[in-house]
Amino acid sequence: MSIRLLALIPVAVAINLALSAAVDAVNLPLFLDTTGTILATALAGPVVGVTTGVLTSLTNSFRNPTYLPFVVVQVLVALYAWFAARAGLFRNLKVAIPAGLGLGILAAAASTPISYKIFGCSTSGGVTLMTLLGRKLGMSEIGACAFSAFVSDFGDKAVTFGLVATVLHALPKRTAARFPLALRSIGAA
Amino acid sequence: MSGRHPFTLLALAAALPALAWTLPAPWGPAGTFAVALMLCLPARVARTALFTAAPFWLFLFLLHDRVTAVAIALRLSTMIASFVWLVAILPPARLVEALVAAGYSVHFAFLFAATLSAVPALRARAQRIVDAQRCRGLATRGGPLNRLRALRALALPLVLSALHEVDERALALETRGLSAGARRTPLAPPPDSTAERVVRWALIAGCVAGVVGRVLWRV
Repeated sequence: MSIRLLALIPVAVAINLALSAAVDAVNLPLFLDTTGTILATALAGPVVGVTTGVLTSLTNSFRNPTYLPFVVVQVLVALYAWFAARAGLFRNLKVAIPAGLGLGILAAAASTPISYKIFGCSTSGGVTLMTLLGRKLGMSEIGACAFSAFVSDFGDKAVTFGLVATVLHALPKRTAARFPLALRSIGAA
Repeated sequence: MSGRHPFTLLALAAALPALAWTLPAPWGPAGTFAVALMLCLPARVARTALFTAAPFWLFLFLLHDRVTAVAIALRLSTMIASFVWLVAILPPARLVEALVAAGYSVHFAFLFAATLSAVPALRARAQRIVDAQRCRGLATRGGPLNRLRALRALALPLVLSALHEVDERALALETRGLSAGARRTPLAPPPDSTAERVVRWALIAGCVAGVVGRVLWRV
């Protein structure tokens, strides 16, 4: 791995964890905690993306250990972002946002068994409320858990993909060209 | 306890949650939680562990029957207390020294150390950007579209400025010879003893026995 890609990883992890300040300021029900993972993958490929995802979960677990089991979701996000970058799905918002919705479904499907088996669907107050709502609507335990995961992930991943596409287009061409996958991600190569 | 080798501390912090999930509830997880809490007491983080775990107890009792809620809550509390204890007792720099001394790649050690220092720095910058944009009159309230527009104005400068730093960091690393691939000598490698190695292997064996026992018990 080149030194530039090695230097990108801690920065991408920090992006994953620092964007919560922006989300708190606008008070939207989003996490954006995979932005750095998706961005690192779109710039530099799956090895950098997966490493970013794993390090994000590890670092986050120092603050709150309940994040650690969700490392699998970060890895899946990186692999999906690699596919999206290769297919040029960050070329504009009209393509990026539906691709993000697809990731939302995948992330919800991956996080549901973890949330159900390890946390009993109690990962946060919002998730608990959504699970309770699902149960009130007559869903099974795992069905209600999937419902709450879907509600949390669907919009979040669409906004994240949109944000990454915006960042990739805002990057100066000279900076973008220094990363192996950046121009291909936005359909410029 | 803080004088122990970082790998021993890591092994103990990982073994307790592993045993909590494999030993039968409620007594297995109750025992592991008691051990984790006793470790937290001298490190003065027992209260932090209890406060972090408390919401999960509430959520679980809202969602499940008493027996299931207690079983899951004890397992989660073990995991939380073990990690809170580990973070309190193991400085990251000491772990990096141990990794380098054990022959792990210096890249691996760099990633770990650089991430831990980059996160608080970027969080502080994010807060500065939020304050600066508010000073310029950025409206962060209103409808969802308005808020999304505000989010873009907050997130974009943060992410772009972070990406511009990558080149500077790469240059600094090359100057320090990180690309050369030579093995580094740690300045103060944490001492390791045969007894601690035995303890680590015993913890791993205990976890394996717990998994095997669980499987056989289920059969």
